[in-house]
Amino acid sequence: MVLSSLINGIVLGSLYALIALGPTLIYGILRILDIANVAGLTLGAYTGLKVFEATHSLLAALVVAMLASAAFGYLLQRFLYRPILGRGPLIPLIAGIGVFIAMEEVFRLVFGPYPLDFPATVPLPTVHVGGAVVTGVQLLILIVGIAVLVGTWYSLRRTRLGLLWRATSQDTETASAMGVNTGLVIATIFLIGYALAAISGVLLGINYNTVYPTMGDIPAYKMLAIIVLGGLGNPLGTILAAMLIGLVETFVVAYLGFVLPRDAIAFIVLIVILLVRPQGLLPGESFGS
Amino acid sequence: MRIAHAAWRKASFAAAIALVAALALVAAACGSSSPSPAGSSSGGGAPIKIGFFAPESGFAAADGASAHDSAQLAVKDINAAGGVNGRQLQLVNYDDASDPKQAVTIATRLVTQDKVTAVVSGSYSDQTLAAAPIFQRASIPVLAAYAVNPGIPATGDYIFQQDFNGIVEGRAGAVALITNLGAKKVAVIAIKNDFGTSLVEGFTQEAKALGATIVATDYSQFGEKDFAPILSRDKSKGATGFYMAQYYSEGQQFINSWNTLGFKYPLVGTEGIDSTTQFFEPVGAKADGLVFTTPFNRDSTEPAVQNYIKAYTAAYGHAPDMVGATTYDSFLVLAQAMKTKGTSPSQIRDGIAATTNFVGVTGTIQKYINGQVVKAVDLQIIKGGVPRQYATLDDPQLITP
Amino acid sequence: MSYMIVVGVTVVIYAILTVSLNIIVGYVGQPNLAQGAFLGIGAYFAAVFSTRYHMSFWLTIPLAFATAGVAGLVLGAISLRLREDFLAITTIGLNFVIVAVFQYVPFFGGAVGIYAIPLPSIAGHQFSNNAFLTVGLLMLAFVMAVSKYLEHTWFGASLMAIRDDETAASSVGVPVASYKVIAFTLSAAFAGMAGSLYAPFLSAVTPTSFGFIESVIVLAMLIFGGLGTIRGAVLGAVILGALPEAFRFISNYRLLMFGAILLLMLRFQPEGLVGEGSVLVKLTRRATEELRRRRHKGTTDSPAAGV
Repeated sequence: MVLSSLINGIVLGSLYALIALGPTLIYGILRILDIANVAGLTLGAYTGLKVFEATHSLLAALVVAMLASAAFGYLLQRFLYRPILGRGPLIPLIAGIGVFIAMEEVFRLVFGPYPLDFPATVPLPTVHVGGAVVTGVQLLILIVGIAVLVGTWYSLRRTRLGLLWRATSQDTETASAMGVNTGLVIATIFLIGYALAAISGVLLGINYNTVYPTMGDIPAYKMLAIIVLGGLGNPLGTILAAMLIGLVETFVVAYLGFVLPRDAIAFIVLIVILLVRPQGLLPGESFGS
Repeated sequence: MRIAHAAWRKASFAAAIALVAALALVAAACGSSSPSPAGSSSGGGAPIKIGFFAPESGFAAADGASAHDSAQLAVKDINAAGGVNGRQLQLVNYDDASDPKQAVTIATRLVTQDKVTAVVSGSYSDQTLAAAPIFQRASIPVLAAYAVNPGIPATGDYIFQQDFNGIVEGRAGAVALITNLGAKKVAVIAIKNDFGTSLVEGFTQEAKALGATIVATDYSQFGEKDFAPILSRDKSKGATGFYMAQYYSEGQQFINSWNTLGFKYPLVGTEGIDSTTQFFEPVGAKADGLVFTTPFNRDSTEPAVQNYIKAYTAAYGHAPDMVGATTYDSFLVLAQAMKTKGTSPSQIRDGIAATTNFVGVTGTIQKYINGQVVKAVDLQIIKGGVPRQYATLDDPQLITP
Repeated sequence: MSYMIVVGVTVVIYAILTVSLNIIVGYVGQPNLAQGAFLGIGAYFAAVFSTRYHMSFWLTIPLAFATAGVAGLVLGAISLRLREDFLAITTIGLNFVIVAVFQYVPFFGGAVGIYAIPLPSIAGHQFSNNAFLTVGLLMLAFVMAVSKYLEHTWFGASLMAIRDDETAASSVGVPVASYKVIAFTLSAAFAGMAGSLYAPFLSAVTPTSFGFIESVIVLAMLIFGGLGTIRGAVLGAVILGALPEAFRFISNYRLLMFGAILLLMLRFQPEGLVGEGSVLVKLTRRATEELRRRRHKGTTDSPAAGV
């Protein structure tokens, strides 16, 4: 039971990390809590599902979903967020919630109120580790999760974009004065952040075999708890926090039962840790340094 | 100048507060206008207005759509069959967006502006609870299609519950799991709301009476995705039978976890999973062997049931679910009550209260006791991914609330 | 008429919430996405004490005020340790924790909630919708008056100084910590007071009615109307509070309209409809300036006229 809880917790943590990574990168560079990112997740799930139904190719579904969400993210930063930067944190937060509410209704009106199945079979075997079972979908989530996390780490530490992200996230004005094209950096981060949301959406859809208009509700709250717990704008902190929440949730259920709603568990963990460490698990804007 | 300006602003604000206070006085002075007797027997040809509300937008929109579509279908079918005593029914429909505050405004509007004669609630308990006292005070009869909170019929003699009382359905679940499927040590995994808690109450009573041991009772939340940990935990406590009081979305995840763990134990569910599009189709044969309690027997030979299934599927392109079926039935009961006792609100109330052995699409309604329906509980079993008639529980002791 | 009055009561309850939220978000500049939870605490205590202990409605008002105030005090104390965005998310989390408490603690009726909350009565007469509106408007007038009074006191000026620059405020002797806590307490207590009206008006309280979405709506109303101003708080509640009813004719698109209007407003008028610096306010200011100048000119041009 320990082993299977551990595996379940890590898989759940990987999903949480994928969901929270995009908003973390965006927070790092713009200092806004981008709830609309979760609308990108649902958009990705629906797009992926429709493409999968047409082509029966999971790869095509993922790619088109990423493109669709990335385009959505680009438009959001260009026409919504950038014009209202410097208005304090609450205005973009509420504007993002406006997008989130409106998009849920768009999904309902376009795709109908009923949940849709995502009947993709993953070309991966079910693996038995000790007494525990890892399903093909769980394996896919782990592989994609690790690939994305390593890719993100590499991009931030070793590429020019990563350097620019770090420079901009530490001090937008100075970076801009030193000739960094902050507009381009912001746009790129949104493209990446929303493509990640699409991946999360497709994986959620396949894992739970369901896609529905309000599928973003729970990820939205969870994502907020995780990025704050991780230290706000710190990708490594986010991954740690995601794993922590995933494991705590799984172990609490396995050993104590459903003692409290999962959302309450996540936020109680958050509040307790913040009272001890008001800056989150890891201080912001540092990635593995 | 600045001082003058400030003084002016100060004065204008004082005026604003005075205005708010004055509005308060005006509102008080207006006094309560006595509500006009709504829908009091107007001429023979005028349509009879039936109020309806359901969560057609927001998180519960799927159930709202099922309820709303069935309400429209019911009114259309009743009118096509000649209406009630030569008068047509007219549906007055509102979306409550799963917000109890909106339910209050809708109820007031239905009573005072639309002047409806009777009401069907196609909404959840939160909204139905908030609306019920308004209808009770206005003496407008209400049938709650599928909301199960015990506070709804307790509101008063004009408020009726069309779906099983949760206690009754819980007891039936216990009989199914313990008597029919032979489980002795059972675990309960229920949704944490009024539906889940009242089912568990009935289940626990009956299971203990039948001599079974309940090794664990756990409550999950809306949107729960992973039941594997709790199932493993229950197994380690020695559970050899499971009672799942979940809705279709959570039920689907429950079945996923169940299969991942390779469980083969007896499993009993409830009407919460009774949806073709949202449970039976996506889950398929993975849930074979699952028995569940429901009022909606799709294998029924009653023409009313088969006609409803056919008409609904033709109109909306997918099979109906239990939420739609009880909504449809609510309208049939209203029409029947009007035919037997008359079309004024108080006559309709009497008509509903006097209903005996009425055959609807969700079984035969024997009667209503304290506003709560009394009817046999159907047990269905999933075979090859399709729900099939398994048994009918009609012991009066069991099904009387 | 009765229908309009019921819509009016809903709007007034929202207005009490926005005006009280303005104290902490508008004046002190602290993010707070938990106003719905404080409404819930007030409503729940009012519901429990009126149904189980048959307490009179008039006594539940101070009770709801006090219990929500205590919860606000706790949040205020927590807020001292957290900077802006950390605090914002903590207040979001508070909604989930409070809903869980309502669901799991038997005192609050558990998952079934509390129903059959009696109608209040005054001089032996049961409340009509008009009475609810009257009491609501009186509560609103009280909250508005307190807010306005705050704007003109040393305490209120200190709160705004904290918003503008916390370090500077503390260097001129503002007791930042205790003032913040007082503001949180007051803001929450007023929301709780609204809860004492909410409970008998709806006749039932259920845990999920006081979740995150309710808090978001209240903050959205405040920002929509104009953060930092009482007029903005009231106008935001009136417009967005009446919106679901006003858009009944396009029932299927109401929530979409809500989201769209909200984001368009924040995109093109982040000051809110009548906040400081909004187009409407600038135009009115300019118009009144113009009027005054003309009148002034008129009097100087003909000094000898009249008397």
